[in-house]
Amino acid sequence: MFDSLAQFGIAFAGFMNPGTIFNVLWATLLGIVIGALPGLTATMGVALMTTLTFTMPHQQAILVLVCIYVGAIYGGSRSAILLNIPGTPASACSTLDGFPLARQGLAGRAMGISTSGSWLGTLFGTLCVATLTPVLADLALSFQSYEFFWIAVFGIVIAGTLSGGDALKGYLAGFFGLWVSTIGQEPHYNFQRFAFGSNDLAGGIGLLPALVGAFGVAEVLQAMRAPAAKAVSSKIDSVIPRLSDVFQYWRTILRSGAIGTFIGILPGLGEDTAAWSSYAAARRGSKEKEKFGKGSIEGLMAAETGESACVPGAIIPVLTLAVPGSAPAAVLMAAMMIHDLNPGPMLMVQTPEFFYQIVAMLVIADMSKLFFGLTLVRPLLWILLVPRERLMPIVFVLCTVGAFAITSRIFDIYVMLFFGLIGFILRELKFPMAPMILGLVLGDLLENNLVRALVLSDGSIVPFFTRPMCSVLAAITIFSILWSVPAAQNRIRSVFRRLRPA
Amino acid sequence: MSESSQPSPGILPHEEKLPPRLDLWIALVFFIAGVAILAVCLGMPTYREQQGEVYKAPGMVPGLYGCVIIALSLWLGTRAWRAGALDPAANPPRPPRVGYSNVRLALAAALCVAFAVGLVGRMPFWLAAAIFVLCFTALFEWQAGLPARERAKRLAAALAIGIGTGAAVSLVFERIFLVRLP
Repeated sequence: MFDSLAQFGIAFAGFMNPGTIFNVLWATLLGIVIGALPGLTATMGVALMTTLTFTMPHQQAILVLVCIYVGAIYGGSRSAILLNIPGTPASACSTLDGFPLARQGLAGRAMGISTSGSWLGTLFGTLCVATLTPVLADLALSFQSYEFFWIAVFGIVIAGTLSGGDALKGYLAGFFGLWVSTIGQEPHYNFQRFAFGSNDLAGGIGLLPALVGAFGVAEVLQAMRAPAAKAVSSKIDSVIPRLSDVFQYWRTILRSGAIGTFIGILPGLGEDTAAWSSYAAARRGSKEKEKFGKGSIEGLMAAETGESACVPGAIIPVLTLAVPGSAPAAVLMAAMMIHDLNPGPMLMVQTPEFFYQIVAMLVIADMSKLFFGLTLVRPLLWILLVPRERLMPIVFVLCTVGAFAITSRIFDIYVMLFFGLIGFILRELKFPMAPMILGLVLGDLLENNLVRALVLSDGSIVPFFTRPMCSVLAAITIFSILWSVPAAQNRIRSVFRRLRPA
Repeated sequence: MSESSQPSPGILPHEEKLPPRLDLWIALVFFIAGVAILAVCLGMPTYREQQGEVYKAPGMVPGLYGCVIIALSLWLGTRAWRAGALDPAANPPRPPRVGYSNVRLALAAALCVAFAVGLVGRMPFWLAAAIFVLCFTALFEWQAGLPARERAKRLAAALAIGIGTGAAVSLVFERIFLVRLP
């Protein structure tokens, strides 16, 4: 206990120098601006900055990315409250009560609630990172290839089932992502799969160019196709959070923090699901249900706390299992790999100091977010009014630099373009993007562990179902798939109804 | 700005339903893709002659993905067919989305491809970026019937943004982040 606190203190002190504080401030500010600008998302911000910070020392680069991530998720609520346009999909839920509050002349109070809820949510999630990660990492150390295979499959399936919309399309997107990850030289015989004689394809599809395309380029195209948003001016009162709001809704804050963190831990779901789930739970448990959707302080607090608690929550499976809890966490995981940090169960063994550094980074980013939340209101309003015709070409230029930066291959720019187009089409056809990203990220984990497990068991699939953790993961995965079949879902519901005592 | 990030309360953008006929087409595309993946995988070597283990055969895992994609596409196709994909009454024409423009989309896509394929790598990056931003901003801000003075003002602003972007990107990324530019 005291040893852990000392390690955390050392990690925290390591960041207390002017250069690092400068990096924290600009990165959080940039994150808030990215989050606030409709059309730019946290995933895109983290993906772009991953490629642009890879020459930095790894602690500094990951710190910048954590600040961007934390800032962007918070920043989305600014445009949600002031313009009724969610800056990121995660803050869509905040428009329900944030904008009505702004229209009642309480924009400042709404932003104060957003700031306090978001700050407390991230703090709650960070506490969970600090306490749960060592326990989960210990458990993960006992896992073998069979368990890791199921974790990867479970990730794809659960992301497809729970990310909203059509689960079947989620599975298709996930397996498409898994297939893309097999393009290029395979690890056993160096055979070039799906390269068709192209040396560039033989080198494989870079994860970051694909992500920059699927999130950056696709969003540029979507923004240019959609109608221009009209800014709605709001009078701004005091943005200082009221302690009475925090004390009055402490149950909502704790509940939303727990829901947000739990959803963060589940693979691939992310902040939007966390915000909606926290909001729905707050509404069910509220004494003021009728105010929800009309400017409920409790509703806004729940959404903000839930989405911000999800950020640290999504990092927990990255550190323990090498499975991302959200799309931005997937990019963060890729960044850790680029910096040779080896996320997964061995992280706590090989570089335990990095775990304490991550906790310190989250606390520092959260404090920096609080600082900007209290001070940065009017300048952000001006940024929100930048027309998309001027913003989007700059975003595309940054995407191009980002795609090229890591391997300096022009081919990666073409990969970015291709995935931009694919991402745009899939979104138009109502495919959720999270499973595809998970497929891309988890492809290597799934293939390596499946092959290794089959070699170990001499081709027998029995251990995949009989090992204790495997049987649990297999049961949840099969249950999730059945749940997405309406007939099977009705059958399961009727079984549960019959089992329930009258 | 982006309507796509403005879902109706409680509904995320990807949660809206599509007509079953469109789902049937999607299923067909994925079915063809799955069959193609499987066919390519079946043609890959197994290295059995080198005493290689069959589980390490290069085509095994992607072939498995191909099979799953085929199965899922059949599931999607069957579901769409049952929902009335072949019944015209179940597939009413979708009303156009107000304010969405495919012309703007095509113009943006064309400009992006022209920049990435035509300009990048053929001239200094700052110049390519400046030309792209200038053209993009000027074309999208072009409005018929604007007074010449206003038009000149907008063009000057587009030029300033273009040169500013080119210079800032080169300075910040090449000099501060030490990143190689295309």
